[in-house]
Amino acid sequence: MLNTTAIIMLIFGASILYGGLAYFLYKALKSKE
Amino acid sequence: MKEHWDSRMAFIMAAIGSAIGLGNVWRFPFVCYQNGGGAFLIPFFIALFTAGIPLMILEFSFGHWAQTAPPKAFKKIHAKLEWVGWWTVFIPFLVALYYVVIMAWCFSYMIYAFSLRWEPTAESFFLKSFLGLTTEPTIFGSISIPAVLGALALWVLIFIILYKGVQRIGKVVALTVPIPTILLLILTIRGITLPGAIDGLNYYLTPDFSQLTNVNVWLSAYAQVFFSLSLAQGIMITYASYLKKKSDITNNACIAAFADAGTSFFAGFAVFSIVGYLASTQGLGIQNLGIAGPELIFITYPTAISLLPTAAVLFGIVFYIALLTFGIDSAFSMIEPMTTSIHQKWHISKTKSTAILCSIGFLLSLFFTAGNGLYLIEIIDHFIAEFGLVTIGLLECIFLGWLVPISLFRNQANKTSDITIGKWWDILIKIVIPTILILLLTLSVIDNILHPYQDHPWYIIFIIGVLPLLCIALLSVFFMKFQQIKEKTNHA
Repeated sequence: MLNTTAIIMLIFGASILYGGLAYFLYKALKSKE
Repeated sequence: MKEHWDSRMAFIMAAIGSAIGLGNVWRFPFVCYQNGGGAFLIPFFIALFTAGIPLMILEFSFGHWAQTAPPKAFKKIHAKLEWVGWWTVFIPFLVALYYVVIMAWCFSYMIYAFSLRWEPTAESFFLKSFLGLTTEPTIFGSISIPAVLGALALWVLIFIILYKGVQRIGKVVALTVPIPTILLLILTIRGITLPGAIDGLNYYLTPDFSQLTNVNVWLSAYAQVFFSLSLAQGIMITYASYLKKKSDITNNACIAAFADAGTSFFAGFAVFSIVGYLASTQGLGIQNLGIAGPELIFITYPTAISLLPTAAVLFGIVFYIALLTFGIDSAFSMIEPMTTSIHQKWHISKTKSTAILCSIGFLLSLFFTAGNGLYLIEIIDHFIAEFGLVTIGLLECIFLGWLVPISLFRNQANKTSDITIGKWWDILIKIVIPTILILLLTLSVIDNILHPYQDHPWYIIFIIGVLPLLCIALLSVFFMKFQQIKEKTNHA
């Protein structure tokens, strides 16, 4: 099992990177409309 | 007529394809593990926001403003700066010479995966049977025929992709960007379901916050962001020069940067899960396994693949196809700035300039296919990464930040972008990033003087590592002066 601090860093990293990517992709798609 | 990208998506995919390469698989996970595990994400994100994305915006808006390849673009800033542009495009061409050879090794390994030919010991197979590695860099040894054939095939492929211009690049990256991402997902799912994988992931992600007080960890974060995003290689400037007048700059830069960093982070799961499995199967500590560079993809990973309980051949093939598709769009993006620059300077057709460069590239690549190729690659790559790219990045910040009003490029980006950037960006480009790059450069110089790279003698370091960089700097000045020399000769 992943230890707690590793899980926290996983959530932290994934939410910034993939959240950021999703946000900018959404902006790009919105401006296309 | 000026070429343009078919669509906004084509440009974004090309920029992402160029940024994502073999380094995302073999560099980031290791650097993260070495610099505090999960805690490294904090300096990494700060570096991404304060250097990576701002520099990418600068390169995009400079290329978009100049609408031309780096030599002419720098000439627009000042007539005597054309050489900076040439130096910028020479560096990725030099990198491509050995990058293609590493991809040729991947190509051979993809074929070997059908019979798991590296068994019983992947290390001995790679170093002795496949490379015929010599005892020192000065001994050439014999040429590796599979590497030569692979390099030939790849240079031909690069020519086919590039000679028709950016529209074809747009079509190719529509395949070469999503395919390896899907394959990486397959490898990760397989990896994390193996016994011992969680131990590997704990190594990768468990934070050691005490490392955050170490200045070298912060510098590693900046270096990682800088190298990973394909900055200071003229690639982003050239690609952006093909954008239409009304194209978004800032949002495109953010998408490319986040996609690249996201892939690096994700690759860590594929790498550390399988490394954890290997460590648990062989009863070894993860620190005893090669988890970076060619060692990871030609020794550690094949060893782990051989040990897979089922479908080892399939996962072997999937892994090397993923690497090849990750690498190919980076490889041709390294040649594109040079072909465009030559095409623009001497008014020769794109087909001709691409054919000339790919032929020269193939011939020069042969140097890296000999028995000492691995030494040459490691030394030259070390010097290009630590000195070549950092110097160019620094020159870009100084010349574009101080020689012309930086607001020129900020306005260029803001004019067409959804997200507007403020004056804080000027400070980052003019002061913060150059300071960090100067620090990186100074520490690298001191470190290389105190500890010669891999303990090689000085003459080897000079000939293989330093001389190529000096030669391309001289060639850059020669290319800039070429027209004047030609005119003087004609008058005489």
